[in-house]
Formats: sequence, structure tokens, C-alpha cells
Amino acid sequence: MTSEILLDITLSLERFRLSVRWETAESSLGIFGPSGAGKTTILEAVAGLRKAEGLIRVDGRTWLDSARGHHVPPERRGVGYVPQDALLFPHKNVLENVMSGRRRAERAARKGVAPDRVLDVLELADLAGRHVASLSGGERQRVALGRALCSGPDLLALDEPLASLDPALRRRILPYLFRVREEFAIPTLYVSHDATEIKTLSGEVMVLAAGRAVAFGRPDEVFTDPSILPMTRAEGFENVLRGVVVAAADSTAIVEPEPGLRIAVAATDLVVGNRAVLAVRADDLILATERPAGLSAQNILEGDVREIRALDPIEAPGGAILVSVTLRGLRAPLIATITRRASGRLSLREGMPVFLVCKAHSVRVLATR
Amino acid sequence: MIPPALVTLLISLKVALCATALILPPGVMLGLFLARSDFRGKTIVEALSTLPLVLPPTAVGYLLLRLLARTGPLGERTLGFDLDLLFTWKGAVLASSLMALPLVARTARVAFEEVDRRLEGVARTLGLGPVRTFLEISLPLAARGLLAAAVLGFSRALGEFGATVIVAGNIPGRTQTLALAIFSEMQIGHDRQALALAGVTVVLAFAAVWTVEILLRRRARPT
Repeated sequence: MTSEILLDITLSLERFRLSVRWETAESSLGIFGPSGAGKTTILEAVAGLRKAEGLIRVDGRTWLDSARGHHVPPERRGVGYVPQDALLFPHKNVLENVMSGRRRAERAARKGVAPDRVLDVLELADLAGRHVASLSGGERQRVALGRALCSGPDLLALDEPLASLDPALRRRILPYLFRVREEFAIPTLYVSHDATEIKTLSGEVMVLAAGRAVAFGRPDEVFTDPSILPMTRAEGFENVLRGVVVAAADSTAIVEPEPGLRIAVAATDLVVGNRAVLAVRADDLILATERPAGLSAQNILEGDVREIRALDPIEAPGGAILVSVTLRGLRAPLIATITRRASGRLSLREGMPVFLVCKAHSVRVLATR
Repeated sequence: MIPPALVTLLISLKVALCATALILPPGVMLGLFLARSDFRGKTIVEALSTLPLVLPPTAVGYLLLRLLARTGPLGERTLGFDLDLLFTWKGAVLASSLMALPLVARTARVAFEEVDRRLEGVARTLGLGPVRTFLEISLPLAARGLLAAAVLGFSRALGEFGATVIVAGNIPGRTQTLALAIFSEMQIGHDRQALALAGVTVVLAFAAVWTVEILLRRRARPT
């Protein structure tokens, strides 16, 4: 499926002028940036809920061309918009909410996903008759997502769908978003200030700061870029790897991000042949200059030091060092955090061969399908 | 033979119900307009729509009378035919509608302002045009407030005196409503009758407001 998204918009906000240009053939896009960078504004402009100057083109259809006075109203754009706070219709029950946009889907070229499938994938069938006031935060987000999916969208616009949830719940809802991505293949704009979410869900990311795009590219490469990396540190850097489950036995599964690179994961719910997205915190990776022996840790990965970077003491009190390590066959490096003292003791140099050590229990499964 | 007091009651109900029905659509639309639009001169529209609330009702009645008089801008001579509103029950409906408009529009405005505009935005992205968004989202979410607007309008029309007496007169059996009858009975010293009629208005107004309270409570409960 080829999909093309062109955003070239300018609009004035209170604190700054937002101006971005993004043209891409990738269909699952992430917009990353700190709060107040203008991420939500971009989504609202794409959905047609906010006036903007410029050009918006999705899949060959022009939604905005202000130079020609062309402005397609939101109801004729086909954007499945999921706002941060879900905004369910309080006078409708779950099923009525999900079906709110069904009429458009039946008229549209892209019929959207059959409601039965949506209820199934998002596990909403049991909630169908419930009043929305009685739903939990995670349930509300799933209903909002289901409502968007059923409306026959040409583009999904998800605005920090997990931000209002606590971390434990976030971990439970992320797999639903991954499933939606894998099952329905609808072009998606995913806005978040969480790098791990974007690495899980997006094929390309734009980094936004104060209304300007400061970086574009593959999430694993962009987020390990020295100029972007500090922005992702808020909740601790997580390395995210996508791969295929090649073995599963004795509560341990083996996932291959690249042929030959095998990661052991302590997990019982992985099925051989399925795709899985894994995360390892940079703090959980151990560096060794020689191949360690006699360890309980199952993952010993061989690579080369690509870059050593001291973190700003303000970002990391205590003086942490970020070491990026290139593994054979992997495009983007993995990041490990070590103390300044450990770095001195190992006398690390760029280009030096090293081993990354990690327990199978330190690898968590973000999503699988 | 229907007792005259009952005739008065029926006229009152007819006038107030017709006035409510007449004023509700424009009042709701005006409320929506005031809640949702933003333009220069909006304050003038706001002030104009509040005017009947603060003017002496007799002033409103007198202006209506001049407007509808034979030689007035909407009179028989100007239009070429008679609207037949002066000194009829329809005239009473017109006068009490106008007096009820500010209450209906203001209450409707608050009802719409309480509807989260972003819900309307989401509805638009789901493919609902402005009209269907209004009918499916804004209207049901504002329903309670709009019901309150209707009851307030009805109560206001039921109690209207000053404008009605000038436009419709005080003709027993034709245009005399409860409010007018109380005044007439009192003037000729029929205190017991006046008191009885006043009691009827209390019962009517209470019944209206109470019914709505019950309706609202039922609606507020999650289904």
C-alpha cells in the first residue's frame, strides 16, 4: 500500500509561530516533542478543527490548500481523531459511541473496519451496553479508538492516547494500539511525548520543538541522535527492538530483531512466528569489554562502541554516561547508561568492541501480534 | 355552561402553551447563536434580546399596539389586510411570547455553553455535518437546559400582564387570562375570587416546575 502524506502548514499560536513541512511515503507517522511544542495543534489542523495556512494532502486528496481558498470541512476529511481525553459522547452508550461515525464509513470509499472486528480487536464487546460515565480511563481510550476506526477513516490521528493513563495501564493499552496498526493498516499520525510509544508504533517520526520540526527519520535512528536523545530522557531511555518470535519454551522466548541477532525474553505469552516489540531500559544494560562467562544473564550481545557522551549534570544528577553500541546487523545503536566511574574503569573508547549484557527479565514485551 | 373561571383558566393555558411553542424555536436558535458565535456587535444583539426583560411590560405592549394599529407599520392600511391580532387571544400570545423571549434565549444560551465544543468537533471528524452534529450531539446534551428554558418561558407567559392587557385587552371569555382576571376581580372588590384565581396560578406554576424537576432527575440518572 502506498500512502503519501504532505503537511506544509503555518499557524500562529500564543507563544510562537508553528511552521512545519513534512512529506513522506511512510504511513505510520509519529510526532514527538515536549508539552506545548504544538503537537496537538498539528493534529487539530489535520482534522480540520483548527484554521491553518498551507497545504495538507493525504493519499492524493487535498484537504487544505489555503492559497486557493480550499478548505475541506472536518466531516468530509475522513480523519479518525482520538483526542487525549477521549471525549466520548456522554449521552450515548459504548456501542452508540463506537457507531457514531458509521454512516460516513458506509458512504466512504474506504469502508473502515467492520464494527464486529473493532469490538473484537479492542475487546469492547462486553462493554457494548455500558454507560460511558462508568468506564475506566483505559476503557474510555479503547472506545474512542473504536469510534474512530469505525468511521471509515483515511487517516487516524491519535493525540497522546496514553498520556492520561497511569504507567501500568499504559503498558496494557499500548498492545491494543499495536494491534490496530498491524491489523488495519490505516495511515496514522501518532502524537506523543513518550519516545517508547513512538518507537513501538511509528515508522517515521518528526521531532517538534516550539513549533519547529527539528528532526525527521526512523524513530530508532532519530531517538539515538545525540541532539535528540536528551529530549527522551524524561522517563528513562528505553531501547525498542522489533522482531519475530523464533522460539518459545520454559518461560523464555527468543526474538530475532535481525537474522542472527537473538534476544532472550522472559515471557510466556509469545507465540512462535508472531511479531513482537521489545523494550530494554538503558539503565538495565551492562557493558563488558571481554565476553563474560558464568553469568545467569542470557543475553550477551557483541558490538562496537559508537559514541560515548556525558549527560548534562542537570539532566542526570550523579554524572551518567550514555554509551551507544552498534550491534552487528542492526541499523540503530542500543543505548546503555553507565556511571562516570564505570566508564573510567573500563577505559571505553569509540570504536572499541564491547559486549552488552542483559537479563531475560529486563526485556519487556511492549506488544505482540 | 362552562363556569367563567374555567374559561379564564383554559384561555390562560392556551395562550401560555401557544406562546411557548411560538417562542421556543427562535429562542433556542438565538441562544445557540449567542453561545456559539463571536463577532463584533454581538453585545448589541445580546442587549437587544434582553430588552423585554428590563423594559416596563406596558412599554413593550404599547410599542406592539402602535406597530399593529390600523395605521401602524404592520397595520391594515400598510399591509392591505388585517392581521387580526389586536384584542384577540392571538394578540395575547404575541405579547407574552415577546416578554418570554429573553428568559428562553438566556436559559438556552447557558444550556449550549455547557456543551463541550470539542465534542461537537469530534462529531464533525466522524462525518457528521453541522446540522446532524447539532441534532445528535448539541441538542440532546443541552436538552435539560432547553426543557428548563421552555418551562421558564411557559411560566413567564402564564404570568404576563402588562403587555397583554394593552395588546389584547381584558375581555372576559375572549382574552382575559388568569393574570388579568385577578386584577379585574380585585378592582371590583371580589377578594375571594381574586384569591381563588391567585391560588390557581400558584398550583399551575408549581405543577410546571415540579414536573420538570422530576423529568430532570430521571434524565440525570445513568441509563
